Amino acid sequence: MRPLTYLRDFTLGLLAYAAALFLSNHLLGGDGLDQPWRTAVALLPMLPACGICALVMHHVRRMDELQRRVQVEALALAFAGTALITFSYGFLEGSGFPRLSMFTVWPLMAALWVGALLLVGRRYA
Amino acid sequence: MKNRVRELRGARDWSQAALAGLLGVSRQTVNAIEVGRYDPSLPLAFRIARVFGLTIEEIFEDAGE
Repeated sequence: MRPLTYLRDFTLGLLAYAAALFLSNHLLGGDGLDQPWRTAVALLPMLPACGICALVMHHVRRMDELQRRVQVEALALAFAGTALITFSYGFLEGSGFPRLSMFTVWPLMAALWVGALLLVGRRYA
Repeated sequence: MKNRVRELRGARDWSQAALAGLLGVSRQTVNAIEVGRYDPSLPLAFRIARVFGLTIEEIFEDAGE
């Protein structure tokens, strides 16, 4: 997939996610929804999110061998880093630190992934 | 692994991007191979040899263990 095509499709996916999130929050803010519809509406943003995941997988499958190696190393670093940080904070919560939302895990992993990509990429430049 | 990819590419006046296009890989991969930071897989090594019309041994130097 050409980089610009991937960027365009990824942007469209993000816009769809933002729209679904806005709609979900709007509908959940009212009183008119009962279960199980509240659960379904709460999960609405995950539909475009699944589409974004499929797009990323398609992009990764079209990468060349070195790009895949860089991705694997970066993901391994991000995976390990996320495990260490989230478990450390889990122990800290037990000692009185404020509980954090599950929403904090993915941004942490994404940030570590980006940092690891830069680090690993430099080894082959 | 030492190789002659940069020398052979230069002799044909090809850019890294042009060679990458012929090999079906990214420009970064071509650069990594040329500077010896990355050793290509066997299929890619064969494609490189085919593009230059040489054998793998004529392009890549086996350092030996």
